[in-house]
Amino acid sequence: MEFEPVIGLEIHVELKTKSKMFSNAPVLFGKEPNTLVVPLDMAFPGTLPTVNKEAVIYAIRVCNALHMSIDHELHFDRKNYFYSDLPKGYQITQDKRPIGSEGYLEIVKDNKEVKRINIERLHIEEDTCKQLHFNTFTLLDYNRAGTPLIEIVSKPEMRSGEEAMKYVEKIRSIVVFSGVSDGKMEEGSLRCDVNISLKPLGSPVFGTKVEIKNINSISHIQKAIDFEIARQSKILNEGGSIRQETRRYEDSKKETILMRVKTDAVDYKYFPEGNITPIALSDEFINNAIKSCPELADSKKDRYMNNFGLNEYDAGQLIMDKDISDYYDEASKHTKAYKLLANWVNVDVISYLNKNNISIQSFPLSAIRLAELVDMVSSNDVNSNQAREIFNKMISDNLSASEAKKALGIVSQISDDEFIKKVINEVLDEFPNSIVDYKEGKGRALGFMIGQVMKKTQGKVNPKLTNDLLLEELKKR
Amino acid sequence: MNYRNLSINELHELLVKKEVTPLELAKEAIRLAKEDKNNAFEYIMEKEALEIASKLTVPEANNPLWGIPFVIKDNFSTKDVPTTASSNILSGYVPLYDATVMTKLLEAHAVPIGKTTLDELAMGGTGTTGHLGTTFNPHDKSHTRYVGGSSCGSAAATAAGIVPFALGSDTGDSTRKPASFAGLVGFKPTWSRISRFGLFPFTPSLDTVGIFSRNVKDSAYVLNVLAGRDEKDSTSSTKPVEDYTSLVGKSIKGLRIGVVKEILDTLKDKNAIDAFNKSLEGFKEKGAIVNYVHIPTEILSSLLPTYFVLSCAEATSNNACLDGIKYGPYYDGKTYEEVMMNARTKGFSELIKRRFVFGSYALMSENKNELFIRAQKNRRRIVEAVNKAFEECDVIYTPAAPSVAPKFTDSSDRLSDEYLIADNHLVLGNFAGLPSITVPIALINELPYGANLMTKAFEEKELFMFASVLEDISGLKNLVAKEDK
Repeated sequence: MEFEPVIGLEIHVELKTKSKMFSNAPVLFGKEPNTLVVPLDMAFPGTLPTVNKEAVIYAIRVCNALHMSIDHELHFDRKNYFYSDLPKGYQITQDKRPIGSEGYLEIVKDNKEVKRINIERLHIEEDTCKQLHFNTFTLLDYNRAGTPLIEIVSKPEMRSGEEAMKYVEKIRSIVVFSGVSDGKMEEGSLRCDVNISLKPLGSPVFGTKVEIKNINSISHIQKAIDFEIARQSKILNEGGSIRQETRRYEDSKKETILMRVKTDAVDYKYFPEGNITPIALSDEFINNAIKSCPELADSKKDRYMNNFGLNEYDAGQLIMDKDISDYYDEASKHTKAYKLLANWVNVDVISYLNKNNISIQSFPLSAIRLAELVDMVSSNDVNSNQAREIFNKMISDNLSASEAKKALGIVSQISDDEFIKKVINEVLDEFPNSIVDYKEGKGRALGFMIGQVMKKTQGKVNPKLTNDLLLEELKKR
Repeated sequence: MNYRNLSINELHELLVKKEVTPLELAKEAIRLAKEDKNNAFEYIMEKEALEIASKLTVPEANNPLWGIPFVIKDNFSTKDVPTTASSNILSGYVPLYDATVMTKLLEAHAVPIGKTTLDELAMGGTGTTGHLGTTFNPHDKSHTRYVGGSSCGSAAATAAGIVPFALGSDTGDSTRKPASFAGLVGFKPTWSRISRFGLFPFTPSLDTVGIFSRNVKDSAYVLNVLAGRDEKDSTSSTKPVEDYTSLVGKSIKGLRIGVVKEILDTLKDKNAIDAFNKSLEGFKEKGAIVNYVHIPTEILSSLLPTYFVLSCAEATSNNACLDGIKYGPYYDGKTYEEVMMNARTKGFSELIKRRFVFGSYALMSENKNELFIRAQKNRRRIVEAVNKAFEECDVIYTPAAPSVAPKFTDSSDRLSDEYLIADNHLVLGNFAGLPSITVPIALINELPYGANLMTKAFEEKELFMFASVLEDISGLKNLVAKEDK
């Protein structure tokens, strides 16, 4: 029998606010355990939560990017359960009234098909503390406890691992470009749980849902789902039935592994959080949150193509990484040679970063210096080989483009039309046979003549310009 | 000199005239606290009090609380001072921070003498369920009567004259009920008027800080210091703070006293009825108009079950942090579940566990609509009924309890006609979030008996005005239990 997969995703995104969701402890990563903790984070009795405005602004930005309707009143609820990583014995979240509801995003599949994925809700909540399990004991790090999270819940509308992967890529791009999160799956700042079931093609009845947790890279999402589709299809085709269970993806085996069989759903005994009275969000507040949002990837891509004349490939490359596109944006304020600039960023800069295994933040060449170099190339002041030499010198000696050029002893190309024409005519006068050869269609003749011009000028003339002018002058003869 | 029956004002005058020093007052209060036979104290802050008091050498004439000793219920977080909420699950817990009210009193240069006992985790109204056992009513030297709770220790310490004022908390009537039994003024403000930061939560939407004092104006002085917005409590009001003493002693001529007929009708104790009626005559003599107002019996009968459902449900969640992992005694276990279960099994008394079980039950998805949601809806009906009653009066006036402090041996059916309403109606003030004050109105066989006044939200000034008139009518000001022999 043929089955149709039904896939829904729950994505948790850690917000990179200055302080925690409900306390004033700082949000930072990689610090000494239990050094970013105030009494509230460890649920000391009597402490009270205060809502982090920045986190609300961030949540609004993401809601807007996902075309959601935004609740004009903030409500928080308690989700009650006992667990060692949950200091208060409850998590403050939004149950009844999530800040965002009923949105969507569009993914472009590899076959260029555009598919809209509807999104059910986006709510604000807080992270738990981090546990490190050992054989006979567990260590708790409360640095993470209370870090602001948004949870984005899709409708179960994805049908393949590819769609799910594209969906997560899109969400990741949105949260990163809007400046609300690092969006790093490997570091847990973006976490994805997959719900997947199979149903006979065309059937209105859903199958039993399996949850896949702890997927820690975007590529694993597709692999985990593809494996799970195959696993469940096999069971169903053999006449078996699917258990309701939680699984995790093990990349070394390229398969999903059973974590636990789910019995009844946990009753979280939700009720309203009495320590936070509902907060009215004015139109002005919401509009400002949206207006202050950095430009998203899609908009940048459009701008690169429509305003800067880049092709889709180049524009697409630039928006793969927010920091790269920010670098490009900065450089593009200082040169008009947008296409050439895109080439330099996409080829030379990226390959330097890859070779040295560094990020654009640690790239020694500032955007404005790169723009200067690009201008040199675009005005034919130096040729592209010279430009690469200058590029390397700028990096190694921390120099501006003109300083590096001078240090390398590179002399500017001559681009003075009148001067070049004068030299060309000297050459034409000296070698009338070459003119004849050229007119008879002997291609070599042109190269010879250019070579003679180069010789007379010690190679300083701009080759392309010389070529163009030579053709013009030849027509006159 | 004996300072036991002096008011804040009287002590202030002595302090400003340097007839007594804060250190002398603190030492005397500590001596009395050490001699306390009513089980009022969890912890006597001797070292802290002496250190603070000895630094107070320059009298502050415009600061009525300068050098005044006080005690504070042990469910307020106090930095470096053990805080147990009278529960074994917090034995040995020493907080890292001060509750905002503690900070404000310290900044006002009042002198903390100790932490007082309470019904475990403030859940209870008898003053008998804390981990140190029963707290006694200082007005009964034979130790046979309740002082009431949950703020039992603060009530006992103030009634015994150890300090002129004390902080309690009030979720159902935990300050105002013991005040009636102990002959004190017991005040709760409008919800959000005083920061709750550092008060161990019981039911956040009902919880307020409470003030005990021996006269009305003293409570107003303390409120002047405690009221106001606190950034650490986002529910605290931004409404400007007023001088809450400004209307004390002013005339209430022409103002309407609303007596809830249905509550008064449930009062069975003859002495209590007489005392209440007498005070009504007094109000009339002061030129007030007495109006009988109505809150349907059906609503009043629903107060206890509604309160029980909402408070237990929220308490279950509020106390889920007490799991033996982060603070309090640690009991071992092979798994985290075992660690938590051991701590919670050994740390809480049976009574508390029963409330948690009930609270969880009320929140379970299969019961939630029938219990929790229904109670929430009923709360709205209760508030509407209170607001309606205020259409015909400026203050609601009721007896504060069915009788004087009952004996431990009195068997009583808490759900009977005699108790169901008269013993529980003070929670109206918590449901509606309104300011409410209990004032002694009579001594019945040498035992104090109080009545309660409630005004509209943020009408604390007016409340103290009515209360001061009532105090004037009864003449029971600065009442102190006879000293132990």
